[in-house]
Amino acid sequence: MDFILEGFFQAFHLLVGGNAETYSAIWATVKVSSYSIGCSLLIGIPLGFCLGYFDFSGKKTLRTIVDTLMALPTVFIGLLVYAFLTQRGPLGNFGLLFTLPGIAIGQTILALPIVIGLSATAVESMDQKLRVAIISLGANRRQLFFSSLWEARHGLLAGGIAAYGRVMTEVGISMMVGGNIKWHTRTITTAIALETNKGQFGMGVALGLVLLSIALCVNISVSFLRRRV
Amino acid sequence: MVQPIYEIRSLKHSYGDKTVLAIEHLTVQPASIVGLIGPNGSGKSTLLRMLGLIERPVEGKILFNGREVEPFSDEARFLITLLPQEPFLMKRSVSKNVSYGLKLRGNGSDLVDRANEALDMVGLAGKDFAKRPWDALSGGEAQRVALAARLALKPRVLLLDEPTASVDAASAQLIKEVSLRARQELGTTLIIASHDWDWLYEVCDEVRHLFKGRLFGTGEENVIFGPWRHAKDKLWEKRLADGQCIHVSEPPSPDAVAVLAPTFIASAAGARPPDSDADLLKGTISRLALEKISAEIVVTVLIGSLPFTLKLPRQKIQLENLYPGQPVVLCYHPKAVTWL
Repeated sequence: MDFILEGFFQAFHLLVGGNAETYSAIWATVKVSSYSIGCSLLIGIPLGFCLGYFDFSGKKTLRTIVDTLMALPTVFIGLLVYAFLTQRGPLGNFGLLFTLPGIAIGQTILALPIVIGLSATAVESMDQKLRVAIISLGANRRQLFFSSLWEARHGLLAGGIAAYGRVMTEVGISMMVGGNIKWHTRTITTAIALETNKGQFGMGVALGLVLLSIALCVNISVSFLRRRV
Repeated sequence: MVQPIYEIRSLKHSYGDKTVLAIEHLTVQPASIVGLIGPNGSGKSTLLRMLGLIERPVEGKILFNGREVEPFSDEARFLITLLPQEPFLMKRSVSKNVSYGLKLRGNGSDLVDRANEALDMVGLAGKDFAKRPWDALSGGEAQRVALAARLALKPRVLLLDEPTASVDAASAQLIKEVSLRARQELGTTLIIASHDWDWLYEVCDEVRHLFKGRLFGTGEENVIFGPWRHAKDKLWEKRLADGQCIHVSEPPSPDAVAVLAPTFIASAAGARPPDSDADLLKGTISRLALEKISAEIVVTVLIGSLPFTLKLPRQKIQLENLYPGQPVVLCYHPKAVTWL
């Protein structure tokens, strides 16, 4: 029990003392997760909106595929992205393996089905009367799209948070595609895994606390936003 | 001749295999008030959605001011507005809901004033309601806010789908008055689908009956549903709740729907059929209403639980001394029944 308590004290010391290695991992995590969640939202929300809003043949099949992809194992994505980015792979020339953008690609693949799936659910659960109301007030297609998007904002936000949570806490992609390189591609989760293996509970606990704090900050901000808009 | 504001040509709409609307031709004159009457599922709301350019018909054309239009047509989308049966308010304040359509039109200035003005029109004080959130309103208030959002647009065409169906008597009265003001002050054309028979006949220039997606008559026809069973000779019959039977000529199917036009009414005492082919039904007058355009009296007679209507000149009402509550007989010819 003592070593866990000791870990908490050490965590406090590392965070307050501004330990460079700890902050490097935090920075790498924030940076890479921001890239990936930004891309996922940018691509996923319009696709999810279309999937939820329009009726077309094959919609159910597509929906099943998206729902299945929401449970993609991170190591499998890591393996695929590694295979594509390695020197022998089709995207090897870009030199993205063991870089933060490389991890971001993998994490985007992880987050995209979540954003698409949850956005589609949010749009599907929108009241059908909304469309009639918006068109009957004179909206054109673009205005209908953006107004519907705005009305579904709470559901879309929930999808974004769920995706962000998955991206922040994944290990497989960061480890396989990033290589867990100190000062470079080491993220909070890969650092926790490594430090725990080394018996360095303090840093592990410190980084775990940071992850929790980031999640808390994101949720508080989102709750605040929901109340405001 | 004035160009109709709407003209429908060979309109057909279906959901899957089921045809829900089939209208060969319909015109609506500018600044007129047209009522649509018909049972649930007869296609009234679908027709309003077509006219409101919310949905595209499977076949046929809708012309607005002589030009073919479809959903999102720039020629029409700022001129036509529909108030659905169950109004939907967006997740924003009352004021923003009311001014939403104005913003879509790029009318950015004095939005608050115009929203308050529209709210005042529907009897909701702007200063009390403007800042309320969408979910802090009663059903009647939400309906009036939705109507205010339409009136703020000063539309050329206002389509109302059962506007008084789910509100209390006071709200219903206000909605009726405000809708009429729109025609008087703005020259707005109104097309109203409603079960409020009295209101429609009181305010409409023309009432059309929709049944199974088809337009027929003026709404005063007596539509009688089957099943029919074989009676005597070549006649078939339907037994009413009070034990009387309606006799008709052979129906195309036992479940066919008949349209019956009574030709004669008299007080019950000593009434006899005018000829041997005629049949009589005993009932009680439940309502007398004045039809605005023809100035004739629409008489509703309750037979069993079934209401029958016929139109009579005022003199006939006076002559026969007809009044609500009076027992009467209705005369009709079984062979003159038409089938839908």
